[in-house]
Amino acid sequence: MGRQIIHRLVISVPALVGVLFLCFCLMQVAPADPATIIAGPDARKETVEAIRKDLGLDRPILLQFANYIGRIAQGDLGRSIISNKMVVDELAQTIGPTVELMFGAMLLAVPFGLLLGVLAAVSRGSILDRLIMAISVAGVSMPVFFIGLLLIQVVGYRWGLLPFTGRTGPVWAGGLPNLILPAVTLGSILIGPIARITRTAMLEVLSADFVRTARAKGLRERVVVTHHALRNALIPVVTLIGLQAAFLLGGAVVTETMFSWPGVGRLAVGAIISSDFPTAQGAIMILAVSFLAINLIVDVLYVYLDPRVQRE
Amino acid sequence: MTVDPVGSARSQTAPERIGQQSELYARAGALRRLARDSVALVAGLILALFLLVAAFAPLVAPYDPYFTNMSKVIRPPDTLHWFGTDNAGRDILSRVIYGTRNTLLMGLAGVIIGGILGGVLGILAAFYRRLEGLIMRLVDIMLAFPAILIGLAVAAIFGAGILAVVIALVIATIPDVARVSRGAAVGVMAQEYMEAGRAVGLSDITLMWRYLTLNCISTIFVFLTLRFGQIILISSVLGFLGMGAQPPTAELGMMAAQGRDFLFMAPHIAVIPSLAIFIIVLAANLFGDALRDVLDPRLQE
Repeated sequence: MGRQIIHRLVISVPALVGVLFLCFCLMQVAPADPATIIAGPDARKETVEAIRKDLGLDRPILLQFANYIGRIAQGDLGRSIISNKMVVDELAQTIGPTVELMFGAMLLAVPFGLLLGVLAAVSRGSILDRLIMAISVAGVSMPVFFIGLLLIQVVGYRWGLLPFTGRTGPVWAGGLPNLILPAVTLGSILIGPIARITRTAMLEVLSADFVRTARAKGLRERVVVTHHALRNALIPVVTLIGLQAAFLLGGAVVTETMFSWPGVGRLAVGAIISSDFPTAQGAIMILAVSFLAINLIVDVLYVYLDPRVQRE
Repeated sequence: MTVDPVGSARSQTAPERIGQQSELYARAGALRRLARDSVALVAGLILALFLLVAAFAPLVAPYDPYFTNMSKVIRPPDTLHWFGTDNAGRDILSRVIYGTRNTLLMGLAGVIIGGILGGVLGILAAFYRRLEGLIMRLVDIMLAFPAILIGLAVAAIFGAGILAVVIALVIATIPDVARVSRGAAVGVMAQEYMEAGRAVGLSDITLMWRYLTLNCISTIFVFLTLRFGQIILISSVLGFLGMGAQPPTAELGMMAAQGRDFLFMAPHIAVIPSLAIFIIVLAANLFGDALRDVLDPRLQE
């Protein structure tokens, strides 16, 4: 088990370096030369040169990259060109809402997807099964923003049931109504895949010997399904949920933009559109790093949940 | 590619030709089975319809998609403009037709370029065992990032535009294709004819192309069909975020984003392009599923 985790960690390192290098490149393509900006428009050539030297801009690119990593390690991601705030502070403010949104989406999608998948599996071949599978294919084919647009138009605007712009505060401080529509939008893209994999896994488990034994013992069908079958079917479902974190993170970017949700994704999109390179670099970095972290955690969790994996 | 006379003579031996023929018969049977599956048939027809409309957009579109008419702004659908007009008085049907063309072109470019690059990587990894570790590690790293994030990063570096989206789609396609084609190629590598080809002294390139690639190509093709819907979805999402085609270019995702500003007074401006994306992706997914079941059930997870 320990070896497995170390192996995963070792694989994550080049990915992390890749992300950092990408973000570093982002800072390189910024059209303006930082030294010229700092020196001001009327500065003499020698002054600009001195500042360049001071900032280390005259050194080889690999050395600059090393310096860049050093600065990141100290939590210095530079300042936003637009708001002049420290990028780290902006990220600290936006990461909370993004995590909140993703949790909200999971909280809706996981139980709902599991329920649909189990229902489809136990009523295999029936109209209900076909209906659930049709919904799941439709859900996978639906652009996130379409679901969001429909919810905003109908639930938010026409029925006036829920707010659909911004965030008033954390859930425990009355922020729940604002969270619902974005969370439903984001969660809806996960329901289809979860229902599908749950159905497949359940069908496999339902035909296993231990399920037949449980039925033969005279256990009620409900107990057989929930206690014997579902528990064993959960392993592929957990893996899928982990893999779908990618999907969810991408979807979060869209959802945040649509609902003016003050998260990292919206920060990234806004920064790219307004050519705010330091902020864009910071936001992309935090998204990529958290993604790597989620993957790592899922892998470790997987080994823990299913000891059979280790032997492969 | 070096032409090896021995190789070309060898590859035309009688048993092999018979093998190819029986393969052809199998394919014909598969197509017939595909046509009998009503869902696959409808999905395939819808997909074909969208492809045709996109290909002949200038002939099909009733109006110029870029012609603005300020006296006909935000009209609901009527007999003159079947899908209504947008905030600049442009005909939405014509814009959806051209938008479909651009969206499909981007998706095809992404899938084809990514498919070729991924296929080459996968086959190289299977053929040269020494490269395998390096290539698959690279693929793992690429696989580690969500396509939307790659799109954001590419757009940040090169600036938003169609090119940025295509690059993102290519990067999103490569790793999965590389894995699938490597898997298929490893199976072919174990076949006796590979060893036989080597024994008669065929060059590596001939072996890789004639023996390995051509035997893996149907698997790769089916997989790309399966991925096509997802790729269209990614490209439209990037378009919606403003990372792709810039106004006034007609592109479905961006059109949906522009319609967002008029969502309350004229929902059709945003809903119609979104619906078009949904139908294309749904048809592609259903058709891809059916194609896989018929041609290559091994790809089933």
